[in-house]
Amino acid sequence: MSKKKPAAGTNLLYQLIAEARSYDDVIVMGRGDPDFDTPAHIVAAAKQAMIHHQADVPPAAGLPALREAIADRVKRVNNIDVDPASEVVVTNGGQEALFLMVLAALGEGDEMIVPEPNYNTYADSLAFVGGVKVAVQTAHEANFRADPADVRAAISDKTRALLLVSPNNPAANVISPADMRVLVDIAIEHDLMILADDIYDLFVYDDFVHTSPASLPGGKERSLTLNALSKSYSMTGWRLGWIVGPADLMARVVALKAAISGGTSIIAQHAGIAALTGPQDAVEMMAAAYARRRRLVLDALDEMGMDYGLPQGGQFVFANIAFTGMDSAEVAQRILSEQHVLAYPGSAFSKERKDYLRMTFLQPEAQLVEGLRRMKLAMANLS
Amino acid sequence: MASQSKANILARHAANAALNIPLPAIAMRGARDLGADEPFYPLDERIIAGAADAMESGQTHYVDVPGIPPLREAIAEHLNADSGTSWGSANILVTAGMQEARFLTTQIIGAQYASIAVPAVAHPGLRKALGLKRREVLSLPDEPERGFLPTLEGIAAALENGCRLLYLESPSRLSGAVYSASQVARIADLLAQHDAAAIWDAGLARWVADGCSSLAAQAQESVAVIGEAWHGSGLGAWLVGAIAAPTDWIAPMQSQKQIMAICTSTASQYAALAASEIIGETQQQRLAQMHAQRAAAVVLAGELGLDILPGAAENLLALRLDASGRGKLAEAGIDFAAGEDFGAPDTIRLNIGAATIAALETLA
Repeated sequence: MSKKKPAAGTNLLYQLIAEARSYDDVIVMGRGDPDFDTPAHIVAAAKQAMIHHQADVPPAAGLPALREAIADRVKRVNNIDVDPASEVVVTNGGQEALFLMVLAALGEGDEMIVPEPNYNTYADSLAFVGGVKVAVQTAHEANFRADPADVRAAISDKTRALLLVSPNNPAANVISPADMRVLVDIAIEHDLMILADDIYDLFVYDDFVHTSPASLPGGKERSLTLNALSKSYSMTGWRLGWIVGPADLMARVVALKAAISGGTSIIAQHAGIAALTGPQDAVEMMAAAYARRRRLVLDALDEMGMDYGLPQGGQFVFANIAFTGMDSAEVAQRILSEQHVLAYPGSAFSKERKDYLRMTFLQPEAQLVEGLRRMKLAMANLS
Repeated sequence: MASQSKANILARHAANAALNIPLPAIAMRGARDLGADEPFYPLDERIIAGAADAMESGQTHYVDVPGIPPLREAIAEHLNADSGTSWGSANILVTAGMQEARFLTTQIIGAQYASIAVPAVAHPGLRKALGLKRREVLSLPDEPERGFLPTLEGIAAALENGCRLLYLESPSRLSGAVYSASQVARIADLLAQHDAAAIWDAGLARWVADGCSSLAAQAQESVAVIGEAWHGSGLGAWLVGAIAAPTDWIAPMQSQKQIMAICTSTASQYAALAASEIIGETQQQRLAQMHAQRAAAVVLAGELGLDILPGAAENLLALRLDASGRGKLAEAGIDFAAGEDFGAPDTIRLNIGAATIAALETLA
């Protein structure tokens, strides 16, 4: 039924993951899965819920108590005011939130402006609805900043939405408050929907500042904003995320959610309540660890003489490997096969990024040091 | 200033009637909730231990898109034991509940075919899943007196007219009616004759006392089986479902699963795994209890002159009921599944449980 094609995009990543599993000594600097386990108090709360909340049956939009906690969180962290009853929908992780946002906002032939490089699933979701990605290219020399002038120039009469992922994955750029203001104004001027992905909003480094477009004047009524607990609470396996947005659009989001999955695991939702309403020191500890690891990775890349966009946020660095003269898929394959280090090829994120690798800081420091040592050996062989 | 773009989006979605179809609750929210898709049973402490132990030992990270290997293996083994198939774990994709299984099969297998023929009366989740993308959907004629199962003549006609993909429920999600072994054999013959394929919803099969013939047992290379893991185990709101299908169908569905969810919640998967190991212990007891409750409900409904639809699944009872009867149930605070949401007006579906008799008594 399906024709065999060379692995690309997400499939390429899964092929590499599968090979990585075959090495006992592999060091994974690819997948965005934090090495920390979910904090113990969250697991304990989930266990209590298994015992005491067996008869809870959430509506498709999610448990009311969780939606309240999400509304509190987006007000506190993102300065977005939402009504938990009508403007919050709980999802099976950030990934389902992403898919739902695209499904809700775009239809066949609609164009979405996507600053590149970007998380590959946006293109996959857009393809599902028959939408068209209009890429706005960025450069590592400018720390992958999307110039609002370039965004404006890319708008056509078919443009319906603007994707703003900040901190960006894989480029780790944080959209500055000033740029965000201009981008929201452009969206208002051209009557575009904004799809905002804030999943890394708690991981911003140095003096960079995260700004949610929905927090700005005129932003909320045209923005769907996703987030999830996967990265911030190390809860990737639980699959718990959310979308917030204006009530009229969110009514459609919940209808779409009912059509694709019907609901979200009750036990993940109780774990989510514990995460959002309980102690936050584990999040602070993880953020501090990522900041240290980021420095360690950047120092190693500097030693290797590699160029990269400064990771202003997120949990990874997008480094240039043009000096190898090889395609990133081939470089990632060789690093994996020869040194047992998994890094993601840039080509999996965008076909224009064949000369980049994404490396995460999601391993304990000792492992990162060893991974970088091996990477150095691999790069020496390649250059 | 009002946004024209947003208005256009809202108008586009409003025009999609499928999105507005209400769904029954995933699981019973209380003793008088007789409209939900799954009965409520307290969780066995071993299921809780299975999930909690996994979480406490650090199984809180992403897992394989198609599901954790032991759960896939367990699902394959259960299907094979119950229905005579020979699935392996590579044939299994774990989903975030039954609706995701409907969505993935109808959208991804459906995309390989020009049209899909579906029962005129089916779970409303089917029309919702199909409604997300424009494609030709043919409605299979049914017989209300046979529990709204599509007729074999209707299936044959759809195939003769060029349709190559069927979606069938056995047991029916509304009435619990099932195709007999000879009817299933005939459908398998029709598939072979027309080089056609089928999506076979067998989620309620475990509630048929004498067993339920599976189309996959006779046409495994052209059938995808979907269902909950496990219906009635108390895990309804934990949302674990499964698809069993040939591997060349699993691959594109796995890609789509990655796009829309990455994987199914690990806590839910480990709970389903623990449930798989003990489900046989409670099955016969629950089935016998439901059989007795359903038989009593049928007798009472007969005495009340209610028109009962035939069904073999012991977990539900479908009957004709007019607005006055529905009003009485509503006044008594009893929830039911409305047949019109399934495509069968003037019909309701009641879960079988301790409150079913009380519900019928309100109609006296």
